[in-house]
Amino acid sequence: MSDLVLLTLLWLIPLIGSVAVLFIPKSMELAIKGVSLAATIVTFALTLVAFAEYVAPNSSASASLEARAKVNQVKADSVEGDADVHEEPGAAQSDLMVRRPWIPYFNIQYYLGMDGISLSLVLLTGLVSVLACLASWGIDKQVKGYFSLFLLLTASMMGVFLSLDLFVFYVFFEVMLLPMYFLIAVWGGPRREYAAIKFLLYTLFGSVFILVAVLILYFFESPLTTTGFSGHSFDIVEMTRIASTTGYYTHNIQQLVFILFFIGFCIKLPSFPFHTWLPDAHVEAPTPISMILAGVLLKIGGYGLIRLAWPLAPLGAQDWAFPVAVVGVFSILYGALVAMAQTDFKKLVAYSSVSHMGYVTLGMAVMNLAGAGKYYAYGVNGAMYMMIAHGITSTGMFFLVGVIYERAHTRDLNKLGGLLNIMPIYGAVSILIFFGSMGLPGLCGFIAEVFVVLAAFNYNRPLAILSAAAVILTAGYILWTLQRVFLGKSEQYKGLPDLTVREKVIAVPLVVLTVALGVLPQPMLLSWMSPSVQQTVNAVARGASQGQTGAGNTVASSQP
Amino acid sequence: MSWQVWLYVAAVFIPLIAFTIQLLFVRLLGRLNAYLATGAIATAFVFSLIGFVSYFSQTEGLFKGHAVHQEGPASAGNEHAEHAEKPHEILVWKGSFDWITLGNDTMASAEQPSPSRLSIPLGVHIDNLTVIMFLMVTFIATLIHIYSMGYMHDDPRYPRFFTYLSLFCFSMLGLVASANVFMVFVFWELVGVCSYLLIGFWYEEKKNCDAANKAFVVNRVGDVGMLIGLGILWTTFGTFNISDLNHSLSDSRLRHEKNYRIVRDSAGDEVPVQLIETNAKGETVKTTYTIPYFMLAVAGLGVFAGCVGKSAQFPLHVWLPDAMAGPTPVSALIHAATMVAAGVYLVGRFYPLFTEEVLLYIAYTGGITLFIAASIAMVQTDYKKVLAYSTVSQLGFMMLALGVGGWAAGLFHLITHAFFKALLFLGAGSVYHSVHTYEMPVLGGLRKKMRITAYTMLVGTLAISGVPFFSGFYSKDAILAAAYYRVIVEPGQLKHIMLFILPAVGAVMTAFYMFRMWLLTFAGEPRGYPALAQDNHGHGHSAHGHDDHHAGNPYDHAHESEPIMTVPLLVLAFFSVFVGWTAWFGLPVDEAVLEYMLSYGAPVRSTDAWSVHWIAFASSIVIATAGIGAGLAYYAPPWAAIVPFWAPQRRYNVPVAFRRRFDPQKAAHRFSGLYNFLAHKWYFDEIYNAVLVQPTLALGRLCTEFDKRVIDGVVNGSAHLTALLSRMEGIFDKIAVDGLVNLVAKVVYVTGDWGRTIQTGRLRNYLMFLAVALVGLFVGVFAWIRG
Repeated sequence: MSDLVLLTLLWLIPLIGSVAVLFIPKSMELAIKGVSLAATIVTFALTLVAFAEYVAPNSSASASLEARAKVNQVKADSVEGDADVHEEPGAAQSDLMVRRPWIPYFNIQYYLGMDGISLSLVLLTGLVSVLACLASWGIDKQVKGYFSLFLLLTASMMGVFLSLDLFVFYVFFEVMLLPMYFLIAVWGGPRREYAAIKFLLYTLFGSVFILVAVLILYFFESPLTTTGFSGHSFDIVEMTRIASTTGYYTHNIQQLVFILFFIGFCIKLPSFPFHTWLPDAHVEAPTPISMILAGVLLKIGGYGLIRLAWPLAPLGAQDWAFPVAVVGVFSILYGALVAMAQTDFKKLVAYSSVSHMGYVTLGMAVMNLAGAGKYYAYGVNGAMYMMIAHGITSTGMFFLVGVIYERAHTRDLNKLGGLLNIMPIYGAVSILIFFGSMGLPGLCGFIAEVFVVLAAFNYNRPLAILSAAAVILTAGYILWTLQRVFLGKSEQYKGLPDLTVREKVIAVPLVVLTVALGVLPQPMLLSWMSPSVQQTVNAVARGASQGQTGAGNTVASSQP
Repeated sequence: MSWQVWLYVAAVFIPLIAFTIQLLFVRLLGRLNAYLATGAIATAFVFSLIGFVSYFSQTEGLFKGHAVHQEGPASAGNEHAEHAEKPHEILVWKGSFDWITLGNDTMASAEQPSPSRLSIPLGVHIDNLTVIMFLMVTFIATLIHIYSMGYMHDDPRYPRFFTYLSLFCFSMLGLVASANVFMVFVFWELVGVCSYLLIGFWYEEKKNCDAANKAFVVNRVGDVGMLIGLGILWTTFGTFNISDLNHSLSDSRLRHEKNYRIVRDSAGDEVPVQLIETNAKGETVKTTYTIPYFMLAVAGLGVFAGCVGKSAQFPLHVWLPDAMAGPTPVSALIHAATMVAAGVYLVGRFYPLFTEEVLLYIAYTGGITLFIAASIAMVQTDYKKVLAYSTVSQLGFMMLALGVGGWAAGLFHLITHAFFKALLFLGAGSVYHSVHTYEMPVLGGLRKKMRITAYTMLVGTLAISGVPFFSGFYSKDAILAAAYYRVIVEPGQLKHIMLFILPAVGAVMTAFYMFRMWLLTFAGEPRGYPALAQDNHGHGHSAHGHDDHHAGNPYDHAHESEPIMTVPLLVLAFFSVFVGWTAWFGLPVDEAVLEYMLSYGAPVRSTDAWSVHWIAFASSIVIATAGIGAGLAYYAPPWAAIVPFWAPQRRYNVPVAFRRRFDPQKAAHRFSGLYNFLAHKWYFDEIYNAVLVQPTLALGRLCTEFDKRVIDGVVNGSAHLTALLSRMEGIFDKIAVDGLVNLVAKVVYVTGDWGRTIQTGRLRNYLMFLAVALVGLFVGVFAWIRG
């Protein structure tokens, strides 16, 4: 399958499904659900095809984005007039990259591609959409609209992770908001309108910052003319290269761009103090939407940081690293403390997300680049690992909360209890996934936490100690929750049915991945993801060292 | 890699395989789980026995020059050569592979000059200490598995119990065999979670869940310390490998002129450490790292903090007594013999890491712990709690021994203690199985009905009290000798005299409370519940199986446990006597065989206190006599409890003068302040609750309020403001049309309906405002750039 078809289908199939669902008569609910499930399953299968292509031995897809971008030059590049056009775009070569001119006047390309970082998130998106679609089986209100919006959401998430052009990225990013808004506002709980509009406004607020940063990068005219780069580009790969090697973007601009990106993606992540939309959105959203929200949407914030904020403004990142790390540590502790005080099961899980996402911020921020950044690489890998691990455990946790809410009609932790005896399989699955979230060795969360904390020791020891101390709070609220929900005796809930077959189908992959990612981190994820992370780390390290030489503007291009 | 490495790897993984099978096929296997779990651990035991024999048959010269004892390091300045060989000589089997390696080889390009690989390996390291620990753990675990088949026989979750035990065995063996401190941390947490699951095994009771949570969270406090230690070591040296770091730090000590302290640079605050590593090209290079002395101490303290948590040392000892909420075999296996000793084991394993100051801190921690715990144990009425505090106290002895330099003594005590404390706990379980109560005041006289339990427990009691010819005597003797050496013999250390006094006093208390426990439970006549004493006779065995205390007097339905439970008791009793023996039929004229095997791998800076052995021997005798005498004086039955086990129906009276015993009730009354203080366990739980737990919860609530009021206040406020502004704008539009009257009405409406405005969903207005803001922001920024 050529890259053009494969990569396009990844976002197009859910989109087609989304439209197709609209043409099915309202009365045929099962057909609507079936088509949606089929669309998500096909999408997931395609992500696996892409994965197979990526990890195949001697695959040209596993080369760095930069190297692949050179092969996939856009023909007749109207702005730059690049001379060395190698071949037809994407011809024959199957390297998971597509590059076509889209709006040449503004130098906008239809530019999709994957490296280890985006591939891991694309896989996660594919999986979580299938599971969320299965979890949506119980939806009975305006089924057609629900599944149409659901698939639209899936399509836009895929698009965000695939884009290598800032304009395309931004379009997908904004398209994502619309279905999410309606999914919460129409199918949500009692305070759904409030939650939905809060989500929308918060995110739009963040989008403004991102848009401004993008436009600054586009219109910036550098005093440096020797680079052969004259701005007016949305090309992420090219801009990463320029930012990391030439000092094209001046120090001031990088600081500004970094902080704009950071705030924008922090809201999405979310990080203190921009996190209050999350608990509301989660509490009101229906279960499958919570799964998507926690499992994938939050990762877009982290992805933005690792793909845009740091590589496009490494000098700025270097300057802001300490405050950013403080924000990360603060989020970890604050999220855990607030989670401890919750009595609503779902809200507790939502705040635990805030806490866990703090590790992503911290892992990115621990920029001690001494020793070729080999410790920093652990931080960034830890951040990525946290995104995947949290994507799995939090999807599972929200699913499990939904299961119990459906049966017991309450999420009040003080009213629940004794469920382990009543629903043994449900209890066992929950305990495992909660332990995974707690960072128990042998389960997925541990690797992420320990990587980030260890890398933090190489950056700032007091901050590292604080982030390490958070494991006490995490253990506290998780165990306390388990005790209140599962342990003890309960007469009230006697007779609640255990997991159904459909629910088991959802739980099994999550349980398997929670264990597999904890026991075999290298083959499961790191072996193919960490080279791409390493490339990013190297790019950031190179870019940041431009500032250390003290003459960011005059360093000549090290590229031929 | 030698075959022994694979042997030990197999021994570690067999319980894991058993666990997986039990977990997946629990429905199919049902009660067969027990046989699978027992078979797995028994196989591991056989493997470790093979390993043990293989190891000590390969260490030639271990028993040569048997009685030649070296002087301690402080006076051994001129014997460097002899010492210098010591840490390098010992036989080690090891093997490892990389679990995690980041990046790939192409990254090591020209722009990164020879980065040494920063990987996280998995590996095993088998030396004499590992071999002995492994044998002890598998042996005791096997016995306890067998015992549990009887003890847990009627439990509805019988299969699950064995599933958890298998997971525990895997984790514990993994911990023992780990070659690096990262793995230790991993298994550390895994044994912690097994402990959590098993303490809360009967999770229907809130008390048990609370105990389980407490155990896990308190352990995590220690683990944070450990993580700090790990972070410092890893970011400084780039390795977690224990033996590499030990070697380097031992080398550093060996280069010290006088007393094997860690060598610092000329300024005195940096420690150069030379590590042998493999670089990216696979070559072996020597790299010298420097670490501030202070940081090395902090790393040591951090690692020790983990040990404090796991081994229940002051101030994190509070979890262990509560952990007795679990089934008694669990208390015996996890909370007496193996897991709680892991902290001591790690201190022993990573010994060269600890600087002088840290060692002193370790010694004082041990001393304080042993004293506090022993004092609490003296007033407990629950015999399982007595044993729990006794365990805390004995762990304190081990820590103190390690801290004062008695490396072999501390680890020797670890092994002997494992046997006699497992025996005591299993005996306690046998009693509970029979009488269904832990309260000693309602027991008494049980020796008549439970002879095997009673007399095997007497063996355990004698061993822990330090009576000659019982194993505990030899190890306690070695600890006292090490403490005496450290304080008295080494010059200028008399200011640390408490390090000798505390264990001496603690040993007296130990003998006292253990005899108190034994006498209250087994000696005298059955007491029973006062109200039931008369009318419930003859209730007999019908009450058996009830958990209800008031179903009858415990003695009435007491009976000896089944052979499946008493045989492990007998085996453990046998080892509780002989495991500490010397080659001379247990006579204290020589070093114990086991201690000798341990001291074969003793690290630099551990002392050899043989020279003061006789002083320790004498004080041991005095201590045991004093403690046992006090115990008998207070608690021996008035008609004197000399009832020989071969003829339980006969008793021999002692002279009348001896009958006027001391009265514990009077003593408790006279010193009621002290008694209450001890009975409330020094108020640790109350203090922690008030100082740590409640403030944390309050802080959580505060943050929640902050979230709701401040952050959301700003968010909602700005939303309201926006809504208000847009309404104003609308109002302004309408002024011309509708006039002032409408305006007033509108304002009233706006303010009155404030709360609901946000829910109107007037997206149009918000979006417009945002668009305006965006344009404004953009123009501003752009102007700034251009300008």
